[in-house]
Amino acid sequence: MAVQERLPEPSNPLGIDGIEFVEYTTSQPQAFGALLQKMGFAAVARHRSREVVLYRQGSMNLIVNAHGAGESTPGKAPLIAAIALRVRDAGVAFQHSLDLGAWEMPTRAAAMELHIPGIHGVGDSLVYFVDRYRDFAIYDVDFVFEKNTKSDPPALAGLHYFGVVQSIFGDRTPDWLDFYRSLFGFTVLPRGQYFGVLPKGTLLESPCHKFYLQLIEPPPGSEEIHWDEGLVRVGLGAPDIPKAVKALKDRGIVFVDHGAVQPSDKGALTQVYLDGVTFELVVSHL
Amino acid sequence: MDTITLAGPLEAKLRAVRGAGFTQIMLNATDIVGHPEGEAAAVKVVRASGLRVTGFQVLRDFEGLSGHLHAYKVDVAKAMLEMCRALGSRVLLACSSASPHSSQEVSLIGKDLQKLAMLAVPLNIRIAYEALSWGRHVNEFPQAWEIVQEADRANLGLALDSFHILANRTELELLQEIDPRKVFLVQLSDFMWQEIRSPEERIDTARHSRVFPGEGVHSAQVAEMVRQLDEMGYRGDYSFEVFNDDYRQLPLPVVAERARRSVKWVTDQVSRRSLPPRRKHA
Repeated sequence: MAVQERLPEPSNPLGIDGIEFVEYTTSQPQAFGALLQKMGFAAVARHRSREVVLYRQGSMNLIVNAHGAGESTPGKAPLIAAIALRVRDAGVAFQHSLDLGAWEMPTRAAAMELHIPGIHGVGDSLVYFVDRYRDFAIYDVDFVFEKNTKSDPPALAGLHYFGVVQSIFGDRTPDWLDFYRSLFGFTVLPRGQYFGVLPKGTLLESPCHKFYLQLIEPPPGSEEIHWDEGLVRVGLGAPDIPKAVKALKDRGIVFVDHGAVQPSDKGALTQVYLDGVTFELVVSHL
Repeated sequence: MDTITLAGPLEAKLRAVRGAGFTQIMLNATDIVGHPEGEAAAVKVVRASGLRVTGFQVLRDFEGLSGHLHAYKVDVAKAMLEMCRALGSRVLLACSSASPHSSQEVSLIGKDLQKLAMLAVPLNIRIAYEALSWGRHVNEFPQAWEIVQEADRANLGLALDSFHILANRTELELLQEIDPRKVFLVQLSDFMWQEIRSPEERIDTARHSRVFPGEGVHSAQVAEMVRQLDEMGYRGDYSFEVFNDDYRQLPLPVVAERARRSVKWVTDQVSRRSLPPRRKHA
């Protein structure tokens, strides 16, 4: 009888190496852009052919996509439409995901534009795979950088991407754990280990240890509230939260400071902007 | 009830099922794609019916294929999953492969079911894997259960169909091995002869001559199966999987009334206390 040796699964099968960018879609690019500037981001480049702007702050790239958003309901909150993951080889990561049962994203690149492979994530969101982030940036192909703006604005109070919060339906945590563990190699942090000021749900750590995902089921007794699955909030890390809070307050950002959620050494939560956008600050070692 | 028992257009089926007091319906893909006004219209009719969709069927011969056959089946599965979601169904029924091209390698079968389950995650759908009694390699529920356990995916579980269990004379006691939380659907039916002598007869009976529970000759076993599942703690849905050529040429209210009587028969088999009226859905 042949004995098959069981080799351990590689802990980072896609070679994930952090978040390359987060993409929002919005029908209010000006208002959202103004909010991002208050949050310390600067608009550094524009897409050659579409209404898409690249914002930057320190290590963070954030894309605001208003292309075709005119059809969506005006006043609707900007949505997190995609997360782009840095990977060792985008083609390999893409094929590996499809082999395991991911849904292929329809290509959106026009002629001469860079094709970024991607798969469907939660709700209408996408997960892109980017492997050109060292000596060559994906933005060099499709974006025109602003002449009078620094292309690498520094981070305010050391802000950086810490993670993304995902809302899910009740009892769906096991399904989504399977999704993130099997496709990407995420690991679940032990119950009770939380960061920031919103300790709930389930926390997953990326295989590169560079960012986190937080899965949130609807709170008990919330049958009446509208709850959907999707990416709901970006968490920004900072080494010194009071310092970051002060820097952002000075720029006009308002933080929630009542009830259970208060700015503290651990974290803080901004008020809701544009009918649905919040940012969370989390004390971070990253 | 299951639409496959009834003749006629989708609207008439839904009306008859609702008219007999049922609150749920098990849908077949042909109900949707065969609608004269198209798939979107069918989805609208189902959504407007007020009936909850128990599940959507059926994905056949999915697992154990390779190369272009596998790729083809993945495309079929994706289209079925999208219809399933459009209908608001949380369960897609996938029955074990009867294809001569399918591999018997358990690890490959498990891997394919993992892939199917992964495809279903973003769509909020659970895969109910059923051992078809004429399945090529998996034809009894203990085998299906072993594969589901090995695949170990939260949204991959079992569908148990009394016909296939009776047809292959699978020991009902083996149900005790199953985690009731991993049973995503139970389908009930019976048939009217004691024995099935050949695989051909099994397929023929399954597709043309099933009857509602209480109407056949294996009532004791069907009742025992329901009792066991109830005692194990199964609290999911039951559906009547009754393929019957006679019923498809009878007026719909007549057939729906037989189904309603069968619900009473099923509930009479288990104590009132353990099967409260709210679970009389079928």
